[in-house]
Amino acid sequence: MAQNRRRFLVGLSSAGASSLIGGSNSSAQEGRLETTTVRIAKVAGICIAPQYVADELLRAEGFTDIRYVATDTGVPLALSLARGEVDFTANYAPALIIPIDAGEPITIVGGEHIGCFELFAREGIRSISDLRGKTVGVQALGSSQYMFLSVMASYVGLDPEKDIRWVTSSSPKPMELFAERKIDAFLGFPPEPQELRARNIGRVIFNSATDRPWSQYFCCMLAGHRDYVRKNPVATKRFLRAVIKAADLCGTQPERVAQRIVDGGFTARYDYALQTLKEIPYTRWRDYDPEDTIRFYSLRLREARMIKSNPNKIIAEATDWRFVNELKRELKG
Amino acid sequence: MRAVVILMALMLASLMLAQSRDAADHISEDPPLPKIAPAPEFTLTSQDGAPVSLADFRGKVVATTFIYTLCTDTCPVLTPMMSFVQDRLGRDFGTKIAFVSITVDPERDTPQVLKEYARAFGADLGGWAFLTGAPQAIRELTRRYGVFAAKTADGDIDHSFLTSIVDRRGILRVQYLGARFDPEEFRRDLLSLVKE
Repeated sequence: MAQNRRRFLVGLSSAGASSLIGGSNSSAQEGRLETTTVRIAKVAGICIAPQYVADELLRAEGFTDIRYVATDTGVPLALSLARGEVDFTANYAPALIIPIDAGEPITIVGGEHIGCFELFAREGIRSISDLRGKTVGVQALGSSQYMFLSVMASYVGLDPEKDIRWVTSSSPKPMELFAERKIDAFLGFPPEPQELRARNIGRVIFNSATDRPWSQYFCCMLAGHRDYVRKNPVATKRFLRAVIKAADLCGTQPERVAQRIVDGGFTARYDYALQTLKEIPYTRWRDYDPEDTIRFYSLRLREARMIKSNPNKIIAEATDWRFVNELKRELKG
Repeated sequence: MRAVVILMALMLASLMLAQSRDAADHISEDPPLPKIAPAPEFTLTSQDGAPVSLADFRGKVVATTFIYTLCTDTCPVLTPMMSFVQDRLGRDFGTKIAFVSITVDPERDTPQVLKEYARAFGADLGGWAFLTGAPQAIRELTRRYGVFAAKTADGDIDHSFLTSIVDRRGILRVQYLGARFDPEEFRRDLLSLVKE
């Protein structure tokens, strides 16, 4: 079958909740859509591609005003959510947990996909432990990369504050510093790892999609503003369903999705986007437990002294799994 | 080409079913399927030219899906898989369980075309209806079931795959994404609703 005959939206489907109303034992489908507006974050990373290509699915769910709001990644993205500038986004789990620990009004509603981080290092560095005293480039202190490497460093007994020499730079970017051999290691997320590998720069000493224990937990999780989730349970469930289906599309039709996110201005390079979509196991959202992920990362963040709350408090106050639990039963395939 | 695809689909379905042949013994252990909502009603035209409504199937468990006969990518996987399951439902098929395949290409898929398609895939028309209708009615129905279907510039049809199982009272109970789902799980869900 020639690929060019199938349009991007082949495979796009919706449970049709916008018209399937009433007579339900499913909590969020009993009522009408409370709002037809949803604001979604747009960031530099493309591992959260499902939310970039969910617009048609969201329309099928009844949303008519779908806005993408540009923001930064990591904690700044979570803070945009907390301030109500966006209603939903996927974000790296620790980047959500840290603001939640600080009391920000964020509710995590499900997991999206596992690993997308890759740690590149120069020769002679073979493990996280070898980073002691080395220069490591991250986007910013507080970025997802910084948090991830900090918890990984703590996990292997390093003190991330003292033992790692963090390098941040807006220009040239840390990836370029690494490419120019000015720093020892660089933790990237899509499309950066794809570009470094294509340029044959450095070598990967860690991949969060394959290396345990990190590969056993969601990397990016879906979260909404607490008030939006509380006031709009029908909209929340429909948003989640649309993004889950979009994630399925990312896994089953990566060529279409890659072209779509390039055309939509979410990323520049089709080849890196396609590689990203093929590498991240988007269709396995059922295989991982979002609560386990929050518990795991909350423990790691406490070890790294980045949060004070215990995992149970985070889970009790800032998660709501009823939507994803319902969708696991309603959507098969 | 179509024969090869059909054969491969049947082999895949057979393998999946064989791997989980014990699963049917555990139907009663599975939690009941959720009650999502009343399934969208329809009245369309069958391969025999007769009007057929979803309401006509009250008392039977119905699997509803959307296809078109000139589709050469996923429909030739989905329809043989359903045919495969049809054969393994035994006497329940037709008497307690029905399949409904609705075309998303009503301009080209006339009743006669659908009949030939059904025959090509070994559909038992005693329990499997292939439906067409007015384009506007089909468009509205696909939207209500949450299926995307649109004509391309070259006149072909882009559409998504969503198979819905409706219980004997007309309540939508579960939906299957795509065309490569587990036929044994699909069969088990159908039988679980028969036993309700």
